[in-house]
Amino acid sequence: MDRLILQTVKHLEDLPTLPSVAVEVMGLSRSPDVSIKAISACIHKDPPLAAKVLKLANSAFYRRGAHEIETLHRAILMMGLNEVVNITTSVSVLSSLGPRKSQEQGLRKKFWRHCIATGLIARRIDTRLHMSLQGREFVGGLLHDIGKIILDEYFHDQFMQAHALSLERQCPMFEAEQEILGATHMEIGHFLAQKWGLPPYIADICLHHHHPQDARFKDITSVVSIADLLAKAKELSCGGDTMSFILKDQQGWHILKKMGHPMDSIDLERITFEIEDIGEEVKEFISAISDQEAQEHAHV
Amino acid sequence: MPMSEHLSASQPGMPDEIFRLLRDFIYEHSGIFFSDNKKAQLENRLALRLKVNNLPDFDKYYYLLKYDQQASRELRALFDSVTTNETSFFRSPPQIQAFEEKALPEILEKRTAQGEKMLRLWSAGCSTGDEPYTLGMVIREVLGEKMSEWDVKIFASDISEKALKSARAAVYNDYTLRSVPPDIKKKYFLQEGPQFRVCDDIRMLVELQYLNFNDERRVKLMRGFDIIFCRNVLIYFDDAAKKRFVSQLYDNLNPGGYLFIGHSESLHNISRAFKLVHFPGALGYKKE
Repeated sequence: MDRLILQTVKHLEDLPTLPSVAVEVMGLSRSPDVSIKAISACIHKDPPLAAKVLKLANSAFYRRGAHEIETLHRAILMMGLNEVVNITTSVSVLSSLGPRKSQEQGLRKKFWRHCIATGLIARRIDTRLHMSLQGREFVGGLLHDIGKIILDEYFHDQFMQAHALSLERQCPMFEAEQEILGATHMEIGHFLAQKWGLPPYIADICLHHHHPQDARFKDITSVVSIADLLAKAKELSCGGDTMSFILKDQQGWHILKKMGHPMDSIDLERITFEIEDIGEEVKEFISAISDQEAQEHAHV
Repeated sequence: MPMSEHLSASQPGMPDEIFRLLRDFIYEHSGIFFSDNKKAQLENRLALRLKVNNLPDFDKYYYLLKYDQQASRELRALFDSVTTNETSFFRSPPQIQAFEEKALPEILEKRTAQGEKMLRLWSAGCSTGDEPYTLGMVIREVLGEKMSEWDVKIFASDISEKALKSARAAVYNDYTLRSVPPDIKKKYFLQEGPQFRVCDDIRMLVELQYLNFNDERRVKLMRGFDIIFCRNVLIYFDDAAKKRFVSQLYDNLNPGGYLFIGHSESLHNISRAFKLVHFPGALGYKKE
């Protein structure tokens, strides 16, 4: 039955879609002479999306200055075009796939907590290593596991079986998925990212976050792979794969070291201790998105 | 000691930026990290130091530590107040779990493959014995019926004769047992009125002894360990002594052995010899 699931997913007609504005924004941002005005006008075509982006830009999570950012134009000036496009991408994907009613509410919640934590930790690593990944590491961390949502949504029973198997064997989720479903969340996530026209680095992270050696965007995928593990170590995990690991033996670590990043100077213990506080930030991020949802409903 | 954790209303609060400065200072000097969620704890612990030094607020206390001539004396008192000096059975559960589910099975498997069913642990700084007895209970649980096939010994040392005396008596109150799972409590403790005595099956696994970590000759003799627990001990050493002692602990371990230090203690800048292992919710140091 191998590949069958992947084929099935490819032919699913009711796969969630990305808001058209998000697709347009990502397209625009790739053009070399894009203007602030064009981007903000484009986001404004989808008022709930625009409101969410602004809300997030003003959350403790992104906010840089003392004053509230009141317009998208200002947000782009303050945060940079890339960061605003990043936020738009995140918010759009989350609104298509994000927390909603599901039989496995508990697990789904855990799933998003893990993804957000991974993004936050990736951001800390980026800062620590002065890598200037410009927020892409956060989006990458946030979206690295989107394949799991599709598996959970469309192949729920088998996905739960895979989850149980990975717990029982203490093996990575992707191994259990391969055995039970014949495809992994990485392949499904990669497919979805491509189908949605998400930036190539996101598709790359979806496919290779467990083996960054094979990635095209090795630096950012390595950062996300490390962040993924660290999030799991703090039991901010959603699969059964709460295994122990030696970070310095991981592919991602070796890649970054080989690239010349000062890995030996990183105080891993301290980073690990600091992650204890990440739960609060995760909550903040979730509320920054979901409060707005309530407001949205009020507007409709 | 939750009773003493309450901060009196008259105490000044600790502003976030002072918390961060103090946190960094303590981490730099002791390797112990206070995460944001421990702010109240640190605040409570240091409130007494403020009072003793007759200082109005935490800013002044930070300046005392950082710039005052008396700083080194205060440092010692500070460390005493930030380490709880409190021990209990199954303390820091994620660490015990990492020992039970990851480190111990790994060592047992290796030993079995080597055809040498021997297990040696060292509880370095065992205080009143809660830790070595906890380890003994975990080992018994993990080995189950196979226990009799194994030669298990837990060396437990401390510098305090008083603590060792309590450890020998092995009688504890309910509060010390608060983290003990009910089935374990039933299995390995004998109730004597309001007190609980550790059963002989566990006590016979533990060998208590006086040891001063400055006695390098004797520390060197502690050899061949599979796992060493040395939690919240290093804080009392200066950097040079810490480096010497940790490198000695490395030598005391068998290849493949593990060192566990306090759950928020760090060996960064102290040793590069070990490999840092991330267990779910806990860190360990492995000798390869």
